[in-house]
Amino acid sequence: MESVKTDEERLQMFFDGELDPEEEAALRRDLERSPEKVAELEELERLRSAMQEGARRWSGTLDSEALFARIEADLREEQELSRPTAESFAPRLRVFRGGAGRRVWGGLAAGLAAAAAALIVIAIWPDPIEPAQPSIAEVRGSEVVEVDFGPNTGTVFEVEGRAGEPVAVIWISDEEVGRR
Amino acid sequence: MRSLARWTVWVAMSLLVSASAAAQTVPAEVIVILAKEEAGGIDPQLKKLTALSRPPFNSFRSMRVVSRPRVKLTKGRDTLVPLPNGRRLKLTLMRVMPNGRYRVKASINRPQKADYLPLLQVVASPGDPFFVAGQAYKGGTLVVGVTVDPKKRGNR
Repeated sequence: MESVKTDEERLQMFFDGELDPEEEAALRRDLERSPEKVAELEELERLRSAMQEGARRWSGTLDSEALFARIEADLREEQELSRPTAESFAPRLRVFRGGAGRRVWGGLAAGLAAAAAALIVIAIWPDPIEPAQPSIAEVRGSEVVEVDFGPNTGTVFEVEGRAGEPVAVIWISDEEVGRR
Repeated sequence: MRSLARWTVWVAMSLLVSASAAAQTVPAEVIVILAKEEAGGIDPQLKKLTALSRPPFNSFRSMRVVSRPRVKLTKGRDTLVPLPNGRRLKLTLMRVMPNGRYRVKASINRPQKADYLPLLQVVASPGDPFFVAGQAYKGGTLVVGVTVDPKKRGNR
């Protein structure tokens, strides 16, 4: 049974580039009619930017020397606690001790690998300005979204490009010409 | 083991820093053209910009490329490009749309003044230009073209 996505889920999936083409096209149509959804989308982008900025700052302030010193201190403490007593020299305990050592180093390696994987995931998280997300239909050309001509007068043209795509042309009078 | 672990963390951190920096910057090309109504020929560099041969540009009988600076646009940061008439083109990458198009803010003014184009926001596909024209300069008109991510597609 197919689950029904809420608007919020759909928007998040759109933002993550996970919607299938039909759903994305439908959402794009919704977005044209809904400033609220556009605002939500922009909020998602701000959130992502903030997380990436935080990650970057964190990576810049991370003291790896102190981190490893702390890990090694913890390991030494753990090894001290698991140091075998006299009666523990039985073969069974030696086998266990070896296993514990592997677990410790294995755990450390797994932890580091997980940390590295997490960092890499953060690093390759598609950024809002990284155009790697899938597109439903390639939109070409350029268009004016907003223009303020100030005290001058101007005109916005849509000129046809080489492949028929619209090319935005903003023609604005030069006030200095008017003064002459 | 310790050196391996250190190496792993450093590699991850390097990836984080480099990917973050790379992802926030996109190349752009600004082409500054002096267009005149008197005959003089069209600069061969403009051959691929077919939009310049159509109205409202077709009244110009000569077009010469004055400068063609390549810049890098970083999201949320202003990039200034000096124009030959003393004004400056300010470009700011606002966002990348989910379909990979760029939303760019532009303005053209003298330093500390708002004397020409206070604000323009354009959405452009990679490699597709937009133009701002109309400034008087040396008996002609300046046409300023901006192409974000020009290598994605050939100039249009």
